[in-house]
Amino acid sequence: MKAHWLKAIATAAVALLSLGTAQKLTFWHYWDGANGQVLQGLIERYQKEHPGVIIEAVFVPGGELLTKLQTAITARQTPTMAISDLVAMPLLTQSGALAPLDDYIRQSNLNLADYFPGPLVYGLYRGKRYSLPVSASNLGLFWNKNLFRQAGLDPNRPPRNWDELLRYAKQIKEKTGKWGIELFTQGGEGTTWQTQVYFWGAGAEFLNANNIAPAFNSPQGVRALQFLVDLVQKEKVAPVAPWGLFGRGEAAMVMDGSWMTQFFPQQVNFELGAAAFPYPAGGRPATNMGGEQIFIFQNADAAAAKAAWDFINWFSSTPVQVEWDRSTGFLPVRRSVANDPAYRAWVSNARPLMRPFVDSMAFARPRPPVARYPQISDIFAKYVQEALLGRLSPKEALDRAAQEVAPLLR
Amino acid sequence: MGTFNFYPALYSLYLSLFEWNGLSPTREFVGLANYTRLLASGEFWNSLWVTLRYAGGVTLLALALGLGVAVLLNQPMRGQALYRVLYFLPVITPTVASGVVWKYLFDPTQGVVNRGLAEVGLVGPSWLSDPSWALVAVIVVGVWKRVGFNMVVYLAALQGIPKTYYEAAQLDGAGPWQQFRYITLPLLAPTTFFLVVTALIDAFQVFDLVYVMTSGGPLGGTDVLGYYLYRQGFRYSELGFASAVAYVMFALIFVVTLMQFRLTRGGQEDG
Repeated sequence: MKAHWLKAIATAAVALLSLGTAQKLTFWHYWDGANGQVLQGLIERYQKEHPGVIIEAVFVPGGELLTKLQTAITARQTPTMAISDLVAMPLLTQSGALAPLDDYIRQSNLNLADYFPGPLVYGLYRGKRYSLPVSASNLGLFWNKNLFRQAGLDPNRPPRNWDELLRYAKQIKEKTGKWGIELFTQGGEGTTWQTQVYFWGAGAEFLNANNIAPAFNSPQGVRALQFLVDLVQKEKVAPVAPWGLFGRGEAAMVMDGSWMTQFFPQQVNFELGAAAFPYPAGGRPATNMGGEQIFIFQNADAAAAKAAWDFINWFSSTPVQVEWDRSTGFLPVRRSVANDPAYRAWVSNARPLMRPFVDSMAFARPRPPVARYPQISDIFAKYVQEALLGRLSPKEALDRAAQEVAPLLR
Repeated sequence: MGTFNFYPALYSLYLSLFEWNGLSPTREFVGLANYTRLLASGEFWNSLWVTLRYAGGVTLLALALGLGVAVLLNQPMRGQALYRVLYFLPVITPTVASGVVWKYLFDPTQGVVNRGLAEVGLVGPSWLSDPSWALVAVIVVGVWKRVGFNMVVYLAALQGIPKTYYEAAQLDGAGPWQQFRYITLPLLAPTTFFLVVTALIDAFQVFDLVYVMTSGGPLGGTDVLGYYLYRQGFRYSELGFASAVAYVMFALIFVVTLMQFRLTRGGQEDG
């Protein structure tokens, strides 16, 4: 009886103490809709398991997050932690506003070798790590099985290399009158990040090893761009047109993102197939990667930073990541998640189209982590368009792009 | 008010002398280097040229069409009020919504525009992906959004012209064209001045339409100054350089406004 009382008093005291000293953390993110709800659910569970920590998640629309972070950093009014799209990470890590995570990672025995190499490239600046990947997406091949059938192709056999891709595309154009493949020809980042997959597949690099000079105008790069130009200009199996032909059944193949495994089935009225994107003979499997990274701000005081790390460590753990990826459809950033039996079973049963995307994470490549990447991407895309429209040869286009990109990397 | 208007404006002038990405702890003072870099940039001149064509196209076409519609709707006719509302609707439709809808209308295969052209045996271009047609498409939408405003202002001006002038002209044997040419047009001149200048100022700052419809593409074909500024500042995080662009835009618009003061004052003295 006595023991009971003591226990009750002790519990009450702990609860009271933790109320007084509750560690409040603010967390800025741009996950909206269902993803935002999943995050909120995880946070609530974390708070229940960790009384004394209150995490206030603040939703900021994706397009505004970087601008808002800029203002916050300039005014020294930063949240405790935040996420960001990969592409903005170099700007953020170089701002001096983020706290290095290396000591925390060591103390928590977080095994970085379990992470896929692609997403880990971000967050590293001058030998220190400032962020951890928490979600990923990548690109693969979708095809329209109905059009494959109509063209007399095996609907369950996607092209495995560029020769087959071209052959299938020509056969589809000939037999059905539809486009063989849809390319993103509208310029900007959309064009760049798709074109990079062809470049990497052909063995070309985008920038050199230290990211201080363009490398895309190599013979392999010219070969890759020539292939795209041929699809449009010579073989006429892909048009220069606004995006969306594949979804409407007007093109038989397309390169699109892992997230479309969720959306295409609701949008299209034909049978879908998905596979890793084909690469040329003598090339290598490749795909491009997107995603988010999480980080802590330098301004947070020691206790808040420690509490933020504890949350990040929990959020990054394999079981929580399995749950996160299952509920959101993001791709795993850790091998232990991709190989988790429950996760693999879920993919096979609920999202079979996602399988090739999960497997592609092993060779998914990051866009070069340089602060001026958006500008470089626009220049590259502009010259890819010039080539697709037949105004410049692939070699000329890439040389000119290299000439304009070079000063931005110095 | 002053704090919110003038402080940012002056701060932006100050920033235009620095190289700064908005995040790095240090900003480097570069003096007028952003301005010289701007003037040496092919993209900037392309952007200025695109803006001039857009502004010229929208201003002239919307002026002519606005006047035409106003003259028509100034006649007694059935459903006059309805027509006036219909022409005015685009003015109050949010630009972003209009842009999204027009983007679909201009779709090369599914869009209403090319289907309509196909009906009369023409093959429409791939509007928004063809560098030589994209600006035309954006101008069409700009005009569509502007005509109603010009019409309303012209209607008011038309109704201010005394009927007696036309009666006198008819007695002298003037036909409808002569009445329009020698009475209506000259008396509308101050209104026209006003509409030209406001349209030019408006057109110089166009951004949302381009942002939604083409993102400045293809190949810089619709890269108007407003979009160029946005790109530099918010996509490339070049805040100093973007501030310099903003000040050059300011200077251009300032010149247009000065011209307006000159011209309207001249107009009044003549009148």
